[in-house]
Amino acid sequence: MSTKRIALIAMLVAQATILHYLEGLLPNPIPIPGVKLGLANIITLLALILYDFKTALNIVVLRTILGSLLNGSLFGVGFFLSFTGAMVATCMMVILLRVFPVLSVIGVSVAGAIAHSVGQLLMAALIINQPGIFYYLPFMLLFSIPSGIITGLLLKALLKYIEKS
Amino acid sequence: MKKNDILLIGIIAVISLALLLFFNILGKGERLIAVIVHNNQVVERIDLSKVKEPRTITVSGNYHNIIKVEKDRIRFEKSDCPEQICVHTGWLSKFGDIAVCMPNKTIIDIEKK
Repeated sequence: MSTKRIALIAMLVAQATILHYLEGLLPNPIPIPGVKLGLANIITLLALILYDFKTALNIVVLRTILGSLLNGSLFGVGFFLSFTGAMVATCMMVILLRVFPVLSVIGVSVAGAIAHSVGQLLMAALIINQPGIFYYLPFMLLFSIPSGIITGLLLKALLKYIEKS
Repeated sequence: MKKNDILLIGIIAVISLALLLFFNILGKGERLIAVIVHNNQVVERIDLSKVKEPRTITVSGNYHNIIKVEKDRIRFEKSDCPEQICVHTGWLSKFGDIAVCMPNKTIIDIEKK
């Protein structure tokens, strides 16, 4: 691993961790576990676009661990939910970027948000052993649309700056 | 945004609305049982139509949930968990309604008799 690559990963991990932490401080708009904007997903998608799958996975693993260390949920229920969600979202987004490149950045971001919700819900159903939790699925799917669009637009704005520099 | 993006968003919106409708139709006119589950074990099953006096149930684990039962409805009234999502879910009164406290691993859901 080159020094430049290490430095870049470290920087992206720091940014993703802060976004993960800040998001935890925002009040939850809808009383459904796991509904949030997914700001840290911006960094995951950025890493997928600028670098590769491996780099993005490194960042996801590190930021979920560091993020939950900061907000005190490390290896608790919340940690496993965001970890699974982020992993599933990363896999989904890499497939849509590299294997079936039919969507724009915003579409990929929406698909990532959906994958995050579904992955998280599967993990939650597993932890509490209660399939009834899928009652939340339609609400989470609906909320994935605006949150995916918002994070997609933020990423687009970010990419413009990066291309300039 | 590409055309495919809009297609994806449209499909997801239709699927989620269809699921919502489906869950609503499932829940019409039945006798309702509230089931409280903690750590994968049923704590109590309550026939909501037979509740006369409102009462509270406390479920303790990593945190403490105080559950309030009234005629035809049930809710997490108080909890010392960090996010309070369970409390904000409010009253459950229809089949399929569910409130979950993930930190304390407590679930209340409404089933049919």
